[in-house]
Amino acid sequence: MDFSTLFIIIIGSIFINNFVIARFLGLCPYIGVSKKMDSAVGMGMAVIFVMTMASTITWLIYTFLLNETTSIFGIDLTFLRTITFILSIAVLVQFVEMVIKKMAPELYKALGIYLPLITTNCAVLGVSLLNINENYNFIESIVNGASAGVGFTLVLVLMAGIRERLEYANVPKSMRGMPISFIVAGCMALAFLGFSGMKF
Amino acid sequence: MKEIIRPALILLIICVIASVILAIIYKQTAPLIAQNKLMAEEQARKTVLPEAAVFKPVIENDQILYYEGFDTDSSLVGYVFSCFQYGYSSDVKTMVGLTTNLKISAITVVSQMETPGLGANCTKLGFLNQFSGKDPAEIYVDKDGGDIQSLTGATITSRAVTNAIRDTFLKIRDKL
Amino acid sequence: MKAFQEFTKGIINENPVFVMALGLCPTLAVSTSVSNAIGMGAAATFVLLCSNIIISLIKNLIPNKVRIPCFILVIASFVTIVDMTMEAYVPPLHKSLGIFIPLIVVNCIILGRAEAFASKNGVFKSILDGLGMGVGFTLAIMVIALIREILGAGTILDMRILPASYKPMIAAILPPGAFITIGLLMGLLNIFQNKKKSKA
Repeated sequence: MDFSTLFIIIIGSIFINNFVIARFLGLCPYIGVSKKMDSAVGMGMAVIFVMTMASTITWLIYTFLLNETTSIFGIDLTFLRTITFILSIAVLVQFVEMVIKKMAPELYKALGIYLPLITTNCAVLGVSLLNINENYNFIESIVNGASAGVGFTLVLVLMAGIRERLEYANVPKSMRGMPISFIVAGCMALAFLGFSGMKF
Repeated sequence: MKEIIRPALILLIICVIASVILAIIYKQTAPLIAQNKLMAEEQARKTVLPEAAVFKPVIENDQILYYEGFDTDSSLVGYVFSCFQYGYSSDVKTMVGLTTNLKISAITVVSQMETPGLGANCTKLGFLNQFSGKDPAEIYVDKDGGDIQSLTGATITSRAVTNAIRDTFLKIRDKL
Repeated sequence: MKAFQEFTKGIINENPVFVMALGLCPTLAVSTSVSNAIGMGAAATFVLLCSNIIISLIKNLIPNKVRIPCFILVIASFVTIVDMTMEAYVPPLHKSLGIFIPLIVVNCIILGRAEAFASKNGVFKSILDGLGMGVGFTLAIMVIALIREILGAGTILDMRILPASYKPMIAAILPPGAFITIGLLMGLLNIFQNKKKSKA
C-alpha cells in the first residue's frame, strides 16, 4: 500500500488540480446550487458519494469487461467506454435518488431537480475517465474519486458562503446573479493557482 | 410485469444496435489510429536526427533502450533516445538525437502540459536549439552552473528537460 | 413559431451558454484558443444534430419511463463515433480537446434539447433547433476564445495579431481568465438586454 502515492492523489485532486476551479469539471451545479449553504453541503455530500461509487464501478467495468488484456472476454471493447460509463452512472444516480427519498425526504426536497442532474455532472464522468487515463489501480481510483468529490464540495461550500454574503452587497444591476458569481469564481481560481507546482 | 419488460426490451434493442454500429466504425478507425501513433513517433525521431532514413530499436529486457539511425547506405549516423521528467505540472517527454560521437544533434519535446506562456515555451525552437552540439553528460541549466539558458519564469521546466536528458544519457552511455 | 425562428433563437435570445448557462464546462475549458473552440463547437453541433434527428424519429417508440436512459444511449453513441473519427482523422485536435470529447455526452445542452424539444417535435423542426443551438454554442465559445487568445497569446488561430513586444497576459489563458471573461461577457449581455427592455 503506497501511502505517499495516495497522499499525492488526495492533495492533487482537492487543491492542486481542483476539479471545478482548475479542471473546469462540475461547473453547472457549482453555479446552480451554490446559493444557499445547506443545499450546497447536501449536494456536496451526495456528489462525494456518487463520485466514489462511480469511480469504483467504472474501474471494475473497464478492467474486467472492456480492457483487452484483463477482461473476461479477451477482446478490445474500449470503444464502449463512454456508453457503459455514462449508463452505469445514470443507474447509480437513480439508485441514490431512491435511497435519499426514503431516508432523508427533506434533503430530497431541498435538492430538487439537482439530484438527477448529478448524472450530467461532468465531474462524475470526468473522474471516471481520468482514472483510466492515468492508469490508476483500484484503490487509487477510489481515492481519486473521493478526493475529487471533496474538492468539489470544498469549492461549492466556499462559493455558497460568499454568495450568501453577496446578497447584502451593492452589486451593479447587470452583474447580479451569474455574472458576479463567475467573477468570484475567477478570484477563487486565482487563489487556487497558488497551489499549482506543489511537489512532494 | 409487462410494464417492466417492454421498456427493458426497447433499451436492450437500442443498446445492441448502438454497439453494432460502434463496432463497425471501430473496425474502420482503429488501424488508422494505430498508424497515426507510429507515424508521429517516427516523425519525432526524424526531427531530431534528420540524416537518418531508418531507425532500428535496441531492446534490453523487453524495453526499448534507444534507436540506432541508419542512412540510405545503411551506415550508422547516430542514435535517438527518449526521456522524461516531471516538470512543473506534468511529465515533460523529450526525444533526443545523438551524433555518432555522442553529442546532441537536436532535441524535441514530444509531450508536456506545463503552464501556457511560461513552461509551455519549452517547445519553442529558441529554447531547443541551444542543446544542439552539446555533450549530454555535461548539460546543466544556468541556475545550476551550466550553460543552458532557462526559459524566463520557467526554471523548473527547463531543469526538467535538461536533467532528464542528462540522467537518461548517463544510464545508456555504456550500452551505445 | 416560424420555422426560421427555431434556428435563430439558439443564437442570441436563447443562447445556451450566455442565457441558459448550459454547457459551461467545455466552454470554459476549451476556449484557450480559437481553433480549439471551432473544433469543439463542430463536434458538439454534429452530436446535437444527429441525436436530435434520431430522437425525434423514434420518440413514439420510447416508453416514458426509460426515456432518459434511451436519450443517453443515443447521445453516447454519437459521441463515441465523433471520438473515434477525430482520433483517426484529426489527431492534434483530438489531443488538445482531450477528455472533453467524451464529456460531450454530459453536455447539458444536448440532453436538454433532447428532453425539451426533440422528443416533442417533428424531425424538420428538431434539425433547425439542433443547428441553432449548436451554432449558438460554437459562437459563444469562439467569442470567449477570441478574447482569451488575443490577451493571453497575442494570436488568433496561431496568426500573430498583436505586436511581438506585447507581453501576454498569461492569466487570460489560465482558469481565472476563463471565469472572469465569461462573467464580464454575461454582465455585458445583461446591460444590452436591460436597455432593450427599457426601450420597449
